[in-house]
Amino acid sequence: MAASGEADQPREVEFEQPNISSDSDQGDFNESEAPGKSENAPLLASDSFDDLSYNDLGVNDHQTVHRGTIHAIVRQTSTSSDSRSNTPNNVDHDSLEVSAGEESLEESAESQMQNVSIADKQEAVELAAPPFSSDDEDVNSPEWKNQKKHVFILSESGKPVYSRHGNEDKLVTIMGVMQALVSFVQDSKDSLRSVVAGEHKFVFLVRDHLLLVGVTRGMDSTQQMLLQLMYVYNQVISVLTHSALGKIFKQRRNYDLRRLLTGAEKFFDNLLNLIDTEPGLLLTAVRCLPLDSQVRDVIAQSIVQNAKVKDLVFALIIAKNQLVTLVRMKKYYLHPMDLHLIINLVNASESFKEAESWTPICLPKFDASGFLQAHVSYLDEDCQVCLLLLSVDRDSFFTLSEAKDRIRARLVRYNALSAINSSLRRTSYSTQQCAISDLRHFLYKARSTAQYTSPELEAPYTKPEEQERLFGLYHYLHHRIHTSGRPLKILFHVGQYETLLGWVTQGFELYAVFGPLITKTGAIHAVNRLLRWIKREEDRLFILNSVTF
Amino acid sequence: MASKGSAGLLNFFIFNSKYGAREGEEEKKVMFYFPEEADIDTKVKNIGLAEAIVQFTSTFSDLPCQSMHTQKSRQLYLEPEPGFWMAMTVSLPYKEKTKDGQPYVEYREDDVQDSVFAAVLDFAYRMFKLFNGTFEHILQRADGDVETLKQRLGHFYNKYLLTLKLSQCDLLDVFNGIHFLPLDKNTYLRIQCFINQLEAAFPTVKYTAFLYNDKLVWSGLEQEDMRTMYLYLTTSLFPSYNLQEHQGGSQPRRFMTGPPDLSDDKAIGKLPRVFVSTDTENEECYLLVYRAMSATICMLINVKCQLNVQLCRKLDAMLAPQMTKLASDIKEQHYQRAAPPSTTDPMFKYIYFNHMNLAQQTTVHLDLQKRAGINIPQEIMRLLGDINADLTRSNHDGETIVKTTSDFWVVGKKSDSREFYVVINQKNANLIEINEEVKRLCTSHLNSVFFLD
Repeated sequence: MAASGEADQPREVEFEQPNISSDSDQGDFNESEAPGKSENAPLLASDSFDDLSYNDLGVNDHQTVHRGTIHAIVRQTSTSSDSRSNTPNNVDHDSLEVSAGEESLEESAESQMQNVSIADKQEAVELAAPPFSSDDEDVNSPEWKNQKKHVFILSESGKPVYSRHGNEDKLVTIMGVMQALVSFVQDSKDSLRSVVAGEHKFVFLVRDHLLLVGVTRGMDSTQQMLLQLMYVYNQVISVLTHSALGKIFKQRRNYDLRRLLTGAEKFFDNLLNLIDTEPGLLLTAVRCLPLDSQVRDVIAQSIVQNAKVKDLVFALIIAKNQLVTLVRMKKYYLHPMDLHLIINLVNASESFKEAESWTPICLPKFDASGFLQAHVSYLDEDCQVCLLLLSVDRDSFFTLSEAKDRIRARLVRYNALSAINSSLRRTSYSTQQCAISDLRHFLYKARSTAQYTSPELEAPYTKPEEQERLFGLYHYLHHRIHTSGRPLKILFHVGQYETLLGWVTQGFELYAVFGPLITKTGAIHAVNRLLRWIKREEDRLFILNSVTF
Repeated sequence: MASKGSAGLLNFFIFNSKYGAREGEEEKKVMFYFPEEADIDTKVKNIGLAEAIVQFTSTFSDLPCQSMHTQKSRQLYLEPEPGFWMAMTVSLPYKEKTKDGQPYVEYREDDVQDSVFAAVLDFAYRMFKLFNGTFEHILQRADGDVETLKQRLGHFYNKYLLTLKLSQCDLLDVFNGIHFLPLDKNTYLRIQCFINQLEAAFPTVKYTAFLYNDKLVWSGLEQEDMRTMYLYLTTSLFPSYNLQEHQGGSQPRRFMTGPPDLSDDKAIGKLPRVFVSTDTENEECYLLVYRAMSATICMLINVKCQLNVQLCRKLDAMLAPQMTKLASDIKEQHYQRAAPPSTTDPMFKYIYFNHMNLAQQTTVHLDLQKRAGINIPQEIMRLLGDINADLTRSNHDGETIVKTTSDFWVVGKKSDSREFYVVINQKNANLIEINEEVKRLCTSHLNSVFFLD
């Protein structure tokens, strides 16, 4: 979109196409083309929440698990001389020597974990021994009982794998009960989904070989909780791959999976914290770091020109959980759920800050059967700007390391790195910048690009409890609008402390929070102005063009 | 043809874990189980699961377990008295579909709402209590003999459960309110005067309630007692009486319960006993119901008092002329008033409920007892249930206005313990117009009711 005359853009569009769509909510809102819309989005525009359906989950995982993408890339790029068996870049984990038995399998998987980085070793050793094991850390402790949200992972046979709070060893009994309940209901050819008791919701998700249980007393709906459990399951896959998980349990149904996940607890912990604070996971959308589109182009071009490396699938820069740029191999897209796992990987690993690292990562939506290799490095001194180069070539560390040096040099030369840093320092934007009074906060998701934007949290949402309450309001809005069987276009709600407006069209989802005294007319005017403001800023707030190698 | 099914009752059971706590004696926990013909293994298994679920949730929650959702069914729980758990399992509506040439069954989890069926279960208990007293009361009177309780439960629920129409349950079951008949002051005072006269002349008549058709005019019972009684009268006693009248064609019976023939001194007829808690807990009374034209009077007489045909004759002598007069006056007055209201305006439908006096109104339902169905789509009806559940959960006054993807507008307001829901089928209206419309509606139909804006 041209930089000039942007301000008039929405009106023009509306003028040219007076009958934009029959489902436009004219009269209420000046619904023009959705801001942030793009035909050429870098991310898959799939809404995992809407797609969430038990019918897909129950039957057979293999139908929903994505596999073979990595094979396809490997075949495609190694057509010339190398035959598949001796290419070093074969990330085929089917070749794990399963026949040699559990020990070797474990070793190879453990070596995967140790690969994460040399500095991580220390942490892994520390985590291998339970950090503490006091007696009050179990189901009888009120502190444990009062936790807002519990998440448990256990194996099909009921062996504890992970618990968000407390020590799994002390939760063997309760996890055994969970497994028993699930298998009891299964015996009558049915499946247990959720239980409600007072403010608590208990959500059960059975996937290949694992049982995940979420317990919440927050505003999350059971459907939203289910999506969160999907993220957690994907995190397991991301560490192990779906194929390895299957093989382990095929060999020994009773296997203690914690042996393979040593050191991975921090990923689960961190992911669950992200889920509780980062709206992007609820919306299955990604937030971009606000940047001038010229600067963003420079950054993307720096990567394209300096990372022409065979087998490089994705190159991306992430800063403070926000996407700065994404360059992808033609034909291959990144799913927002996968991107959240990448963000989680960066967010949870302190060790990346110490040295450039080389770590395997499986992206379940991209290919659940194998690992990609990630070259991870920070580009700045403060360790805020993280570059990830994802390849199918296991031996390309040094090639990618050189590419990284070239990219960094170029970003410095064109002042792009300082532009990123100054955007980070500016702390995104305030609602005041939108110049709309009474608007306290909002989430805007452009559906075609799976990206969202929202302002900083300001008064009255400065305290953690208040932020949690605000997030609860968004959960309520999102849930009520997306209830299956009776979806809504508009929801206006006057509550005790604030007034909420949710509005969903084909192009976007908008959730806005106002002060309690705003009138309906006031709210509608505010939302119209907000959409115009986002439209004006869309080049800065969203990545509208996808760049390929 | 693809098959489909609607919500139905799979099972219904009552258990108490205190009995049969020892292994191998699990079946002693069963107080009641429907369907009766289920084998003992199934009964014990299902009760075991319910016990386990309840136990499991108590690890996390101090509040009792309410429901279990599975792919194919929903189970609701209620612990009405300490140790006694009731559970009701409802099958989910389903539809056979094909996807990629493969047939599969789609179960509609969101079509079955917890709040609605929790209310159904709650009233199943209250109805039992009305006719039998509390579980504990029965045990006490039988010196702790649990078999007596089991007999009572079986006797009552095997009939009661057959009358449930689960697929028709909706928000109205959650409110379970009372339709009041609005009257002018004069007529209202005359009725009250008549009731005072009656109670003075017949001191054995302890409590009274006066109804006109299916609407309540006056009640001397405690509110919760009246609520359950009202449900019994309007959904069970009146319909079956009307049916008999229709078929009988003979001399209309004045006493709906009690002596069928006043000239026969020996036949006191079917006379239900009810347990009310208006003055004291579990007070047992005879329920004598008398009708003249469309007016009905319920008289509760303590079982310790003598009730015979002679007394009924005396009552009849007093009631017949006065009731007939009152009934025709009400009819006249109501006929004049009935013209203007909402039936002429198809644009909107509403449901109103007041938690303070249980008053309820609906233009969404074609008749007050929901026999004829509703005039808005089912999913919109469920949406009203959703909004009600949200407003109930937040426990504060609030307002919700939504537009569905099928272009219906639905407004829900809760203010000062009153709830008001409006459905407007006006595709091109906008939020502000809808807001104005609802304001107008509030003033024209509920003019005495104050809503926060």
